[in-house]
Amino acid sequence: MNLTNEKVNNFCVLNIEGRVDTTNYSEFESEVNKLFEAGEKELIFDCSGLNYISSSGLRVFLIAQKKTLSLNGKLYLCNLQPAIKEIFDISGFSTIFKIFETRDKAIGS
Amino acid sequence: MNLFFTMENRKEAHFIIENRVEELAVLFEKIEQLTEIWDFTVPLTMNINLVLEEVVSNVIFYAYNDKFKHEINIGLSLQNNLLTIVITDDGKPFDPTSNQLPDINLKAEDRPVGGLGIFLISKIMTEVYYERKENLNILTLKKTI
Repeated sequence: MNLTNEKVNNFCVLNIEGRVDTTNYSEFESEVNKLFEAGEKELIFDCSGLNYISSSGLRVFLIAQKKTLSLNGKLYLCNLQPAIKEIFDISGFSTIFKIFETRDKAIGS
Repeated sequence: MNLFFTMENRKEAHFIIENRVEELAVLFEKIEQLTEIWDFTVPLTMNINLVLEEVVSNVIFYAYNDKFKHEINIGLSLQNNLLTIVITDDGKPFDPTSNQLPDINLKAEDRPVGGLGIFLISKIMTEVYYERKENLNILTLKKTI
């Protein structure tokens, strides 16, 4: 897993690459927490490089969404690979996140 | 230990991993190799990887109260388009099929953060069957691919 973030307009974009699984989800969780602690509340998770996720990783997405809602912020997802989108669909996560096809669409929404 | 073999229209693979979290990386590597040989699509490979991670990590984290080394046996077979996975461990009895499944229609605020692993297994696989035989948990997962 590789995580990088950048500021685009008002959004903080977190690029998630590689695998998010039982062995590394806590690293992902602490990176997300750092963004909240830094005062970010308009987030985009760019998942173009995310090629594997298990329930441990989904758990962090849900925690981030709960936190964002409690802050009246925004958390958008974009560029989900088809296999990842399928997991979001079957777990019901597609209805609890705003998912955009591209980063530009997320930023422009 | 590692064993892949192929008979006429039936392919089989078998491997054993230990009950340590580091072994998950070994598991992932084996699955990658296997799915390449068996020519699985990328989404199917991810799903099989996910199902095995959910089952095996549950065993590693929750099945044992002692500090001894235990073996988790994983067998896969593919006959025509039926994939069968059998996972066997000697941990305490645990029937994943008896777990209550989460309500996926809840709003984010109301959704509990756990309980998704077993749910994903039940959605990805066509059939999930648990049995306890002597001191073993035997979980059989089938998927038509």
